[in-house]
Amino acid sequence: MDKWKLQPARDLGMPLGKRLKSLQRESGLISTGFHFIWWTFVRLYMRVWHRLRIEGRENIPIQPPFVLVANHASHLDALVLATPLPCRLRDHIFPIAAGDVFFETPVVTSFAAGMLNALPMWRKRCGPHDLQLLRQRLVEEPCAYILFPEGKRSRDGSMAEFKAGLGVLVAGTNAQVVPCYLDGCYYALRPETKWPRPHRITVRVGKPLDFSGVSNDREGWLHITAEIEKHVKALMRQRS
Amino acid sequence: MDAAARERLFGVSHAFDNPVTTSVTIAVVGALVVVPMIIWLLARLGRVGDAHRKELFTRFYSWLVITPLILVPILAGAAWTILGIGVLSLFCYREYARATGLFREKAISLMIVLGILLQTFTAFDNWYHFFVALTPLTIGAIMSVAILRDEPEGYIQRVALGVLGFALFGTCFGHLAHFANDANYRPYLLLIFLSVELNDVFAYVSGKTLGRRKLAPKTSPNKTLGGALGALVLTTLLVVGVGHYVFRGTAMDSASHLVVMGIIVSTVGQMGDLMLSSIKRDLGVKDMGVTIPGHGGLLDRFDSIILVAPAMYHYINYFEGIGNGQAMHILTGG
Repeated sequence: MDKWKLQPARDLGMPLGKRLKSLQRESGLISTGFHFIWWTFVRLYMRVWHRLRIEGRENIPIQPPFVLVANHASHLDALVLATPLPCRLRDHIFPIAAGDVFFETPVVTSFAAGMLNALPMWRKRCGPHDLQLLRQRLVEEPCAYILFPEGKRSRDGSMAEFKAGLGVLVAGTNAQVVPCYLDGCYYALRPETKWPRPHRITVRVGKPLDFSGVSNDREGWLHITAEIEKHVKALMRQRS
Repeated sequence: MDAAARERLFGVSHAFDNPVTTSVTIAVVGALVVVPMIIWLLARLGRVGDAHRKELFTRFYSWLVITPLILVPILAGAAWTILGIGVLSLFCYREYARATGLFREKAISLMIVLGILLQTFTAFDNWYHFFVALTPLTIGAIMSVAILRDEPEGYIQRVALGVLGFALFGTCFGHLAHFANDANYRPYLLLIFLSVELNDVFAYVSGKTLGRRKLAPKTSPNKTLGGALGALVLTTLLVVGVGHYVFRGTAMDSASHLVVMGIIVSTVGQMGDLMLSSIKRDLGVKDMGVTIPGHGGLLDRFDSIILVAPAMYHYINYFEGIGNGQAMHILTGG
């Protein structure tokens, strides 16, 4: 008879403060409840306040692992990208958020971890170890990430160059990368304003890209990043 | 709600009506004062090393928090006792679910949590029949919600972990809450907590002094036969001594009944300890959590009481009856 496949929580034995900031954090019943409440609210808000339009919804993969990638112009972006994803995946969708913004104070950390289910990426000290952990989790669990490869919000609405870390996550794995373009987020919540304006937001979802055949080395990572950037830019030009 | 029920649930002014409650409370508080002095003295005499002393103090500080958390609700009234036990059950289940991976099955977990909440309610209500009914009903709910995902692969493991979790942290633990429906619940619960916790201490101390042969080296390498037998003798003596005052004037107050009770507490308590060791070995984890510094998780501390609670409940209930004369269905009526 085969042995049972018992798999303790990845974050077993971590004190709460460390758990919230950990890349290994897993949701329990209470966090799932919070996610459900939060995302129901976000869906409603997006529909009513921003009259969110989703083009190419059929391109979103049914099963993880996958990574949603888009241009980054406002704090609304991750919320917008998570809106079209199915409810059953809620606990397995992790927006990758800047550690120095979302994981510094206890209150904001609790919100980012408890409500958004975000995982921190420390921009100044993100070592290869963190990226490896994310890569491993993406495939093993499997789960889905929401990622902004520009690495920071645009200050003027234009798109910056993509960073190569994205390639490290997916090179040679079966995780699909879904390029998306967010239209209107910059005007809905400008960097200098505090509250979002009721500006229409459109998200264009492109066809998923497969990088399982790409080698997991510097050359492969750069190739992947360039390829994704090309697809996001193509979606940007596709004005409706 | 009649006056007797209100008195039992919230009657803090009668906390020390029973002399056993008073004596045990004084003894426990006294122990908390004396123990740090003993550790300090042993350290001064050079009997314990620096690292060992630190570890002993970490454990002691944890006891300083755990003891009032157990003692105060029991003294304050049955309502607080039941609430405390309900919360403890939920936290213990959480630890178990995270360690076994069952927490990923949200629907099953939800059924277990609801089951535990309802069982806690039955204790408030003094509705033992519904408490009994909740075991098969919750098992049915677990088996059913696990089908909904339409994924038969791993079904047996998922539901078995769920049923085991509910049996241990819902049903077994729930008996502790139902003790609170007896007018004499304070001495009963104090006797159980005191003897079960001291049973661990006795096993540790006699194992250190007379232990040679290993009890179950693969399950728990530090436990010895000497420790187990030492605990059996000492705990039985304790239960006979304290039990005589707890059960004075009732059917349980005979030497034979009390000796059997002591043997039950000691053996079943040690079984609970070994049960958790087996679960931890099987999972490949050292502690179930980090809730209590120096002890590990809550389960590392309360493992022995899980199995003792139903055994003691039914032993006392068979000969003496629990909750005699107390109003039933306090909240639901009828």
